[in-house]
Amino acid sequence: MTLAVEISLIIPDNEARTAQATLQRLGIDVGELQRMSLWRLEIDAGERDALLEALKSTETIYNPNKNRLRIRDVASPDRAEVWIDEPDSPAAHTGPPYIFAGRALPGVTRLERFVAWRLMDRGGKPAPDHVVERAVETLLCNTAFQRAIR
Amino acid sequence: MTATLRKASMRVGVLVFPGTNSEDETQRACEAVGLFTDLIHWTASLQDVRRYDALILPGGFAYEDRVRAGAIAAHDHLIDAVRQAASDGKPVLGICNGAQILIETGLVPGFDDARHPQAAFAPNAPGGRFLCRHVTMKLNAPPARCIFTQSMQAGALIPAWHSNREGRLSASPAVLDRIVSGDHGVFVYADERGTCTPEAVPNGSRLGIAGMTNVAGNVLALMPHPERDAWTFMHMDAAPERARGDTNAALTPSGGIALFEGLAAALHR
Repeated sequence: MTLAVEISLIIPDNEARTAQATLQRLGIDVGELQRMSLWRLEIDAGERDALLEALKSTETIYNPNKNRLRIRDVASPDRAEVWIDEPDSPAAHTGPPYIFAGRALPGVTRLERFVAWRLMDRGGKPAPDHVVERAVETLLCNTAFQRAIR
Repeated sequence: MTATLRKASMRVGVLVFPGTNSEDETQRACEAVGLFTDLIHWTASLQDVRRYDALILPGGFAYEDRVRAGAIAAHDHLIDAVRQAASDGKPVLGICNGAQILIETGLVPGFDDARHPQAAFAPNAPGGRFLCRHVTMKLNAPPARCIFTQSMQAGALIPAWHSNREGRLSASPAVLDRIVSGDHGVFVYADERGTCTPEAVPNGSRLGIAGMTNVAGNVLALMPHPERDAWTFMHMDAAPERARGDTNAALTPSGGIALFEGLAAALHR
């Protein structure tokens, strides 16, 4: 099965704030910009709960004092969300085994890493498509080596 | 006007963004070749920047490299003045993070007056790690191709330090073709004898490119740091040992200073 793991900050995300301020200065009206580490994983059936526990106990990935960790059963971008892929980056596309802090992630047969951005309007709703598109073209993705997945 | 006065009348502005960290050595290298140099902080006005005869974007981590290396700084208000300087034909040099900023603005390679990136200095290969390594840059285009190299010998070798995490030129095949056909790859990595080999390229940079210029040849984005190998005592060869005990010899500008001599020559032309 394929799923996505989303790891975001619960403390203020200064990088997202800087990006949002830059977009606003460029006239791209983003009310809130959220940034996440996004992993798309293929895992053996029945390993979902074991994977979640393994991730939560791996302090290099998830620190409960600063991170939020969520497993998403739909491994594709939500509305007003863009995943930035670096297709030729070995760090983003590595083969198994997937070992973090000396422990293998159980049941994982494939792992891809992305930086994900979620754009909201001033009312807290998903930003319109044209705003997302402009933000991606202007700042969030350099297509010379990155690919925006929406 | 004497040569000295003429030199003194030329002013170089070194832009400093939050996170820039190589402004002092860049300023010293400029002053070593007789150029008046000021640091221009990000709070400066566009009018402040426009009075300079040349601009340098030094190395560091502008805006902490948030989003991507150089991406936020490429949208800083001071970049309007950098675009104007480039358009006016003034020399504009980006070193390391400054090169990343220039490529994010689209000023290099600068095809079709782009205002968006057409290429990238992507994470180094293999592994996307920070690499600190002494390198040799070889002038790979006719000296007249770029304003900074017009006073150099063909095939000149310049020592420098590669010190970055994102220095691997990356672009689409179509853009790479234009980079080649337009002689934009002014500097390539080479070994100490000037032979271009895959082993001399520290990071998998496409075409082995270390420095790239724009269409007009007045903007240069250079990934390695020539200012960190610009005095005899800094060199990795036997020169510092030969200069031992001779302060004047050890403090003689040499090696990477050639880039700044090229800038001075361009301003005095």
